[in-house]
Amino acid sequence: MRDAAPDEATGLFLFDRVQDALRGEKVLEQAGHAVALVAPPMRLRAGCDLALALPRVEYPGAARQLQAAGVSVRDWIDDPEEPTKLCDIVTTVDFGDHVMVRAGNMKITVEKATGTIVNTSGGGCPDIPYLNLQLVGREIFAAPRPKDLGFTLCGLMLDRAFVEACALLGGEAR
Amino acid sequence: MSLLVVGTYPVAGGPLVMGPVSVPSDSRVQVGDLALPGGQGTSAMLGAASAVAAHLGLTSPWALLAGDIGQGDGTRAVHEALGDAIEVSRPDVIAFHYMQPVMALMRRSLDTINRTAPHASLVADAGGMYAAKAAGLAAQFELMTPDVGEVGFLADSRATHPAYVSHYLFGTQGFDPEKLARRAYETGGAARVLLVKGACDHIVERGETRAVVDTPNVPALEAIGGTGDTLTGLAVAFLAAGFPTLEAAVCAARANRQAGAAIGATPASRAFDLVEALPGVLGENLCAWTGACAR
Repeated sequence: MRDAAPDEATGLFLFDRVQDALRGEKVLEQAGHAVALVAPPMRLRAGCDLALALPRVEYPGAARQLQAAGVSVRDWIDDPEEPTKLCDIVTTVDFGDHVMVRAGNMKITVEKATGTIVNTSGGGCPDIPYLNLQLVGREIFAAPRPKDLGFTLCGLMLDRAFVEACALLGGEAR
Repeated sequence: MSLLVVGTYPVAGGPLVMGPVSVPSDSRVQVGDLALPGGQGTSAMLGAASAVAAHLGLTSPWALLAGDIGQGDGTRAVHEALGDAIEVSRPDVIAFHYMQPVMALMRRSLDTINRTAPHASLVADAGGMYAAKAAGLAAQFELMTPDVGEVGFLADSRATHPAYVSHYLFGTQGFDPEKLARRAYETGGAARVLLVKGACDHIVERGETRAVVDTPNVPALEAIGGTGDTLTGLAVAFLAAGFPTLEAAVCAARANRQAGAAIGATPASRAFDLVEALPGVLGENLCAWTGACAR
């Protein structure tokens, strides 16, 4: 049976103050995001408040931009209709000298002896080729986190693989 | 037959470019005067598609691209310009590739295609595939090329991004591509043909497996960023060359694996190593595989 597709896969930033929502709108619009000020669903309202809706896939980058601009966010709601959570299936493939960690649709491969990131793969959002260029060739414990460089859910899933790869090599992601 | 690839390249604020694709001797894919960054993504896809066009003596693929590192600006630009690109390139095959998966933009682009190029075969991979499936438009596509995680996404009618795929679709024994591809088709989440890439490549038509390609077996290909992109580039180029879709998918799977074997692929290889091996692979095999011989 076919389900009707939703109009857009949007999530909501919730704010304690209307001024924060208005300022958040300005910050995200200037950064190139398509956002809309909306009233949050009744069950999520704290009072007479405003929320910012944007495509769910853009959440990681947008959250970082709001934080950098000092905009106070109360919460992020992935799906205003019903709770959802990110896929947390993580698997590994041992290639001998290299190990590949797969988190959802994203993969990172590291040389065991040196900790060098030799490849990232999977995904389909535009930050994934960008992250590939930024990360390949770096030593994983010195490399920036994908969640700090990327902007999308694919980037966030790559971060999960990155953290797991660090753990497999006996350390912690910075 | 002509091919138009719609996608992005990983440069913040990079300009919108439209035109035929060339691959000069330094292996950097160019659209017009713009040399694209290497690595995985639409660049690798275009490199593979160009290799097929060159081998068969066909016109170069066209590309409509803009810079985007994940904020969606380049994605919006290419969707906006699609009508103009169709008017200039008159494509028979339109392929959506790396882009922000925004459903409203994909709906608008399919409206444009239905008005201006209704005969075109539609292909989607990467973010283009995510947007098409999430927007309920997958059934309008001729071919999609999901990988292990993505076919679960196509089969999960409630998921709007692969990051939200339900656990139960993966089962306790790992993923079953044939079962997931069938479910994806039955729930409207799949194109008419799926090329499910993995340890074995499954070619599935209307939910039924028609072919499995598993040789040569090159496990390292999964680790290399961009080998899925080269596979998609091969498939769309064969489709644009007039191959039936199933044959295009099978040839793409064979050629991609053969290129991996030819370079002795390791987990540290690059997608463009495969692209550089394709002229030799196509020259040695394509005529025998299909009867499509170089001009």
